Amino acid sequence: MVTTAPDTLIRTNLDFLRRHPPFDRMEPEALHFLGERLATAFYPADSEILMPEDGPPSFFYIVYRGKVQARQVGGVAVTEYATLTLGPGEGFPIGAISAGRPSTNGYIAVEDSYCFQLPAADFLHLQEISPSFQLFCTRYIASLLNQSREQLQIQFSQRAAEQQTMTTPLSSLVKKAPVFVAPGLSTRTALEKMVEAGVGCLAIAGDDDKPVGVLTQSDILKRIVLPGFDLTRPIADVMTAPPHTLGTNASAYDAALEMATHGVRHILVVDTEGTLKGVISERDLFALQRIGLRQIRSSIESAANVQTLQQASQDIRQLALNLLAQGIGAEQLTQFISALNDALTRRIIELNLDRHDLYGVEYAWLAFGSEGRHEQTLSTDQDNGIIYVLPEWADKEPLKLRLLEFARDVNNDLASCGFPLCTGNIMASNPDLCLTIDEWRERFGTWIREPHPEALLNATIFFDFRVLLGDEKLAYKLRHWLLSMTGGNPAFLKAMATNALDVSPPLGKIRDFVTDDDPKYPGTIDLKKFGARLFVDAARVLALRTGVEATSTVQRLRQGGGRIGMPAEELSAMADGFHFIQLLRLRHQHLDTDHGAPGDNRVKPDDLNELDRRILKEAFRQARKIQLRLKLDYQI
Amino acid sequence: MSWLSRLLPGSGPDLSPEQQASLAAITTRPGPDLGRSHFETRYVVINAESRPMDGGGQRLVGVGAVAINRGLLHPAESFRAELGTAPADALLGLLHFVARAPLVVYNAPFNQGILERGFEQNLGNVPALEWLDLMVIMPSLYPERIAGQARMDAWLGAFGIERLDRHDAVLEALAVAQLHQVALARAKAQGLNTPQDLLESQTSRKWLRGS
Repeated sequence: MVTTAPDTLIRTNLDFLRRHPPFDRMEPEALHFLGERLATAFYPADSEILMPEDGPPSFFYIVYRGKVQARQVGGVAVTEYATLTLGPGEGFPIGAISAGRPSTNGYIAVEDSYCFQLPAADFLHLQEISPSFQLFCTRYIASLLNQSREQLQIQFSQRAAEQQTMTTPLSSLVKKAPVFVAPGLSTRTALEKMVEAGVGCLAIAGDDDKPVGVLTQSDILKRIVLPGFDLTRPIADVMTAPPHTLGTNASAYDAALEMATHGVRHILVVDTEGTLKGVISERDLFALQRIGLRQIRSSIESAANVQTLQQASQDIRQLALNLLAQGIGAEQLTQFISALNDALTRRIIELNLDRHDLYGVEYAWLAFGSEGRHEQTLSTDQDNGIIYVLPEWADKEPLKLRLLEFARDVNNDLASCGFPLCTGNIMASNPDLCLTIDEWRERFGTWIREPHPEALLNATIFFDFRVLLGDEKLAYKLRHWLLSMTGGNPAFLKAMATNALDVSPPLGKIRDFVTDDDPKYPGTIDLKKFGARLFVDAARVLALRTGVEATSTVQRLRQGGGRIGMPAEELSAMADGFHFIQLLRLRHQHLDTDHGAPGDNRVKPDDLNELDRRILKEAFRQARKIQLRLKLDYQI
Repeated sequence: MSWLSRLLPGSGPDLSPEQQASLAAITTRPGPDLGRSHFETRYVVINAESRPMDGGGQRLVGVGAVAINRGLLHPAESFRAELGTAPADALLGLLHFVARAPLVVYNAPFNQGILERGFEQNLGNVPALEWLDLMVIMPSLYPERIAGQARMDAWLGAFGIERLDRHDAVLEALAVAQLHQVALARAKAQGLNTPQDLLESQTSRKWLRGS
C-alpha cells in the first residue's frame, strides 16, 4: 500500500508539531485535525506577517522555521514587553484570535521564516476538540490578564504614592483653592467669609495674591472674643503675621516638621513667585499615616461611637484604592473590603447592643445579596435581616418590637457610615425580614413551591444569606433545610436556571460588545447586570442543586461545578472571568468615587485599553459558557 | 506535431477509449493566465523518480508533486504516483493534478526530460506545459547567496530547508516547493510579479548562458 502524498506531508507536519509544546501533549485526533489543515507560507526577513490594521486575524500562525518578532504598535503599552521574539513551535496571536479582535502587536519576520497558518474558524474548533489546547490558550489569556493587572498597578501606584507617603509634595496635597481676604477687610466680614467657606484657617493676602497673614479658629477665641476686639477694625490688626509658608515642592514631612517646630496647625503653600496656592492642615498630614489594614481594623474595634466609624468607613475606601494600586486581585480585594465592612457592621451592632438589651435572646444578624456572598463593591447598599428564636415562655409581639427598634438604629448607623439604606427596604428593621427560623422556612418554602418571577427574584437575594453577628447555628439549620429542599426539586432549579438565563452576555455578532440602549448612558455596559450577575446567578443554581453551603460565587462554581464533573481548568477560567469583571467594576467605582461622583457599574468598552477589551470579551465568553451548561442541563 | 502522430495508426501506445477521453479533456482545457500575480497563481512543483536502465540512461518510475496555491503550500494539494503496471493511468492522474498549472522543477534537463519522455512513451503525446527551472532562476534572484549554477543541496542549505528523505519523491518536491516560495518572495521584490515574468527571465538567462 503506497502512502498518499497528503499523508506524507501531514506526517511531516505532525512530526514537527510533536516536538513542540503545547502540541506535544495534544490529543491524537486533535493533532491530526491540526496537522492536515496547516498551510505553509514563507516570509522573507523584515516582512510583515500580521498587523493590527489587518483587522481581526483570519489565521492562527505557528512559526515553523525562522524568527518572528511581536512588536507593540501605538503609544500605549498594554503588555509588559515592547518586543517578543517567537521561534519554531510558537503560535500567535492567541488573544486576538480568541477574542476576534485586531491584534495589538505587529508580527514581523526578523529573518527568513516559514510559518504554518490555520484558518481562524479551525483554531476555534481546535480549542473545542482539544482540552489540552484550550487549557494552553486559557492560561495564555490568563497571563494577559496578569499583565493587565500589572498595568493597572502602574497606573495607580503613582497616584497612590502621592496620596500615601510623607514625601508627597505639598502641591499634590492641596485639594482646593485657598480662601483668602484682603488685609483691609473688616474683621466681621472676614469672619463671615470664614464661616461661609467652612474653613478653620483664613489666609490674608494682598492684591498680588501674596499672603501677608493668617487667622485660625483658635485665634478667634483668644484674640477676638475674650479681649472684646472691635469687629469693625481691619483683619490685618488681629492676624498672625508673617504667616508660616512653604513652597509647593516642599514635602508633607517638611510641613509636619514646620508645624511641630512652631506649634501651628496650618501652613500656607506658595509657589515660586510667593503667590498663595493653598492651605495644608495638620489633619491633612494625619490622614497620610492613618490608612493601613491593621490601623483601620483596630480603630474599628476600639471605636466608641459612630463618628469614629464614619472615618473608618472612608479609610476602608482609601485602603481599597491603595490595595488596588499594589496590584492585589479582585478576589482578595473584595475579601478585604468584605472583612472590614463586616468588622464595621459588627461594631455598629455591638454599639447598639449597649442601648438595646437583647440579653438572652437567640438571634443572628444576617447579610443578604452581595454582602452575603462576600462580594461587596463600593457602591453597595445594605441588604440585611434578622433570624431569631421565639422562646416558649415569651410573647412574640414585644420581642419582635424590641428587635425591630434595635434593627432600625443599626440600619441608620450603617447608613451614616456609607452603606445607603436599601431602597427596596431589604433591611432588618422591616418587620417582614425580622423573622423566626420557622417563619424564614415558611417564606423560603413558598418561593420554592411557587416559583413565580417575584419569588425567584427574592431567592436570588435571600438565599445568599450569611451571619454577621449572633448565633451561627440558626443560619446553619436554615441552610441545611434550604439545600435539602432545593437539591431534590428539579422544577424549582429549572425555574432558577431560566431566570439566570434571562440576561445574556453582551457579546455582539457584528460589534464586539452590545452596549446599553438607554439613551442616558450611550455606549456603556452595566457590568453588574450584564456581567457579574450572569456568573452569580448561574453559580447559585449550581450550589442549590449540589448542596454547596458556601455563598461566594467562586466557591460555588468550584465546589458545585466539581460535583457535576466540570473540569477544574474550565471552572478556573470561569472564576478568572468573574474576577476580571469585578476588578473592572472596582476600578471604575474607585476612579469615580475618588472624584466625588457616586460609583456605578457602567463601563464604556471604548474607553478600555485594547487588552482589557480583549479580556473582557473573553470574560463574557466564559459567562456564555456557563450559561450554555445551564441550558443543556435544564433543557431550556 | 504530437497531436498528429497520435492519430497515425500503430505509432503510439494503445490507450483505452476512457484514457483517450481523459487525455483529451486535460490537453484541450484552457491554460491558466500566466500574466496574473504569483499570489493569484497555482504552481505545481514536480519531482521525477527514476531508475537506471539496463542499457544505460534513466527510466521514469514515479513522480511526486506539491502545489503552491496563492503562495501557500497545503498538504491536501499534493500528488504521488508510481508508474508500475499502469503507467498511462499514473501519468494521466499527474496531468489532472497539474491542471495545466505552470510547473516548477529543480534541474529541468533531467526532470523535464525524463517526464516528457514518459509522456511520449506512455501517452503518445507531450502536453504543452510551462516549465520553470529553479536551478536557472535562483542564481538570478539571489546572486548574493550563490552566483552560479549549483546543486540543489547548496540552495536548500542556504535557506535552511530540510531535505527529509531523498528517496521520497513527494518530500523531494516539498523541499523544492519551499525553495520556490523563497524564489517567489524575491521575484516579487524585483518586480517579477507574474509567472510570465519569471518565464521570460529564465529564457533570457538561458540565452545569456548559451544553453
